[in-house]
Amino acid sequence: MTATTVSARSTAALGRAAGRLAPVGGLLVVMVLAAITTPELYDADNLSLVLFQVGLIGVTAIGQTLVLLVAGIDLSVGAVIGLTTVIVASRTNGDGSELPLAIALAALAGLGVGLVNALLVLVREVPPFVATFATFVLIQGAITAATRGAPSGEIPAALDPIGADKVAGVPAPLIIFAALALIAGVVLARTTAGRRLYATGANRQAARLSGVPTALVIGAAYLVSALLAVLGGLMDAAYVGHVDAQLSRSLNLDSVAAAVIGGVALTGGRGTILQTVSGVALLAFLLVWMLQLGAGPGAQLAVEGAAILLAAWLMQRAPASRATATQSGGTA
Amino acid sequence: MRVRVRIAVLAAVVPLALAACSSEKESPTASSGGGEDCAQSSGAQEKYAQSWQTGAEQLGLEGIEAPKIELCDVDTAKFKKEEPEDGYRVALAAQGPTNSWALENEEAFKYHAEEKGVEVLYASANGDANKQVDNIQQLTSQKPDAMVVVPMGPGITGQVRAAAAQDIPVVLCAGRLEGDSGAISTVARSYELQATLWAEWLAKQLGGKGRIAMLSGIAGVPTAEYQKTAAEKVFEKYPDIKVVTKQYTDWSPTKAKTVASTLVGKDLDGIWSDSGISDLGVVEAYQQAGKPVPPVTGDSSNAFLKAVDGKNVKFALSPFPPEQSMQCLDVALDALAGKPVPNVVNVEAPAFTDAEIDEYIRRDCSDDLWVPSSLPDPLLKRLKLC
Repeated sequence: MTATTVSARSTAALGRAAGRLAPVGGLLVVMVLAAITTPELYDADNLSLVLFQVGLIGVTAIGQTLVLLVAGIDLSVGAVIGLTTVIVASRTNGDGSELPLAIALAALAGLGVGLVNALLVLVREVPPFVATFATFVLIQGAITAATRGAPSGEIPAALDPIGADKVAGVPAPLIIFAALALIAGVVLARTTAGRRLYATGANRQAARLSGVPTALVIGAAYLVSALLAVLGGLMDAAYVGHVDAQLSRSLNLDSVAAAVIGGVALTGGRGTILQTVSGVALLAFLLVWMLQLGAGPGAQLAVEGAAILLAAWLMQRAPASRATATQSGGTA
Repeated sequence: MRVRVRIAVLAAVVPLALAACSSEKESPTASSGGGEDCAQSSGAQEKYAQSWQTGAEQLGLEGIEAPKIELCDVDTAKFKKEEPEDGYRVALAAQGPTNSWALENEEAFKYHAEEKGVEVLYASANGDANKQVDNIQQLTSQKPDAMVVVPMGPGITGQVRAAAAQDIPVVLCAGRLEGDSGAISTVARSYELQATLWAEWLAKQLGGKGRIAMLSGIAGVPTAEYQKTAAEKVFEKYPDIKVVTKQYTDWSPTKAKTVASTLVGKDLDGIWSDSGISDLGVVEAYQQAGKPVPPVTGDSSNAFLKAVDGKNVKFALSPFPPEQSMQCLDVALDALAGKPVPNVVNVEAPAFTDAEIDEYIRRDCSDDLWVPSSLPDPLLKRLKLC
């Protein structure tokens, strides 16, 4: 091994580390800037809001991460969230005793959407962003047709423990997100299922030739994403306490943004739950900071877009470094 | 490369989603009528001024004057048409049932049309101004006797003008277009009136001194911007009222709750809001933080009234009645009868405070109902609103 090879590998490792640490670094920078510009952001109420947002965005971001890892994308998340709130409100009309059945129906509907996404991608080989955006539009249309814009019913208070309540001062959505992130992190890092997921996303053909049931892995990723979107819908419904006709629109891209900002690759096979967690934290903090600054919606979107672009740019840098390293090693 | 393609797709999807969000309840004042066929009408001026006076009195306000707008009676003799045996055919370029307000708006129109024996040619814009341009074109090609348009945004002005150029009397309903749209009349509740009443009431609650936040609907949508501008004008008169922040809620209780959660620590004395739906989020945020809800304003959704029922929240509301579409149809029919029609019709609506909640709340009805509702009970039942 020559000095050049070692140097190139070190550069590549540094590049990868920089990519992974970028969201954490970004979060620290934003936190410092926020402390200077809007110190009131560190009030208990505002910090509580940040933690709520982390939980609400985070649950769907975990599902999105799984789909991104198999080189897919799930744009139907927001629609499933909206569908869930409509089902819960119309089925229960505020009656907590009807909640189990309503949740079961919402889960079935979510699984149906996940299955359609998976079949479109696997059987018809429709590009994932087309397939899932189509289902997003389809579900939106179905909700509008069924409710005629006026979803009836109310959200039962029995749902509060997963969305509006706090446990020992910690917002319930954050606790749920933390538990799910832990489970997803362990599955991805320590189990055969996790290794298969990465292998499928990195090189589907090679994974299949190695005996990985890639179709099953991809299908499972879409199904889990849809189920987590259902959970996100339940948490959102509990958080606001009312059916929100605009809900799916406003939450549609948060999960993608959080995962990408964290550094999960859009090309599949690269990324960890820890990265998603850091992306979620950065996005939630940015969101609340922008509100504290009194930034208009244009500025809020611009900042979110800039964060995504920066994350994607950093991701592009890492493979370049790795390629250089491989090339250097090969010629040495 | 694939990363770039996906990012490009994402970049395309964001504006698409935003476009889908835009333009909900569009609204009223003057861009219609006018010109040489419009005769000055002192009666209309007095009626308009009286609407302002009534609203002010209902909220216990003094010294509020209606702004001067051009009001006149439009000569519709050239549109006069004998009613066919099977009734007039009136086109409705509707918003589409994208929310409960729009649902009630178009159902009220259809209900009233049935009462009047009018055949309705209906087209839904699904809340999208671009789609409405196509809709108006298609409706025009069906040669209706008259057309009622619930405008989704200024982008439809050219198409409205094109319809009017084919001698179709066009009535703008629950919304307005700037410039010469060719419409004979604009029928809507005045945004300026609503916003001014809310702002003045809030100023009175504060004794002309305090810290407030302003919450508007969707950025750039005329409904939100006209009201915001009118309210800002009021607050300029009160140098001791500090507008701490101005935010948009997208008329979503979820976003409103997120926004309001950042307001909880700002020690506000009041919140000027253009929507009862946004107020839902405000109430949720303050209650979750265990703090009293500051005085709020907005239009009157049953959901908000139910949320604050018995909770000692001070508010002033005034509806933007969805049933104003009935009045729009009446104006169109007047034009077909050759009667002069006002170029601007300000829809009458009550203004009320928390003291009168029992008079307006419909505890037996859905959160989606806009109160007070003049829709008949069977229709409300059919729409699952009551």
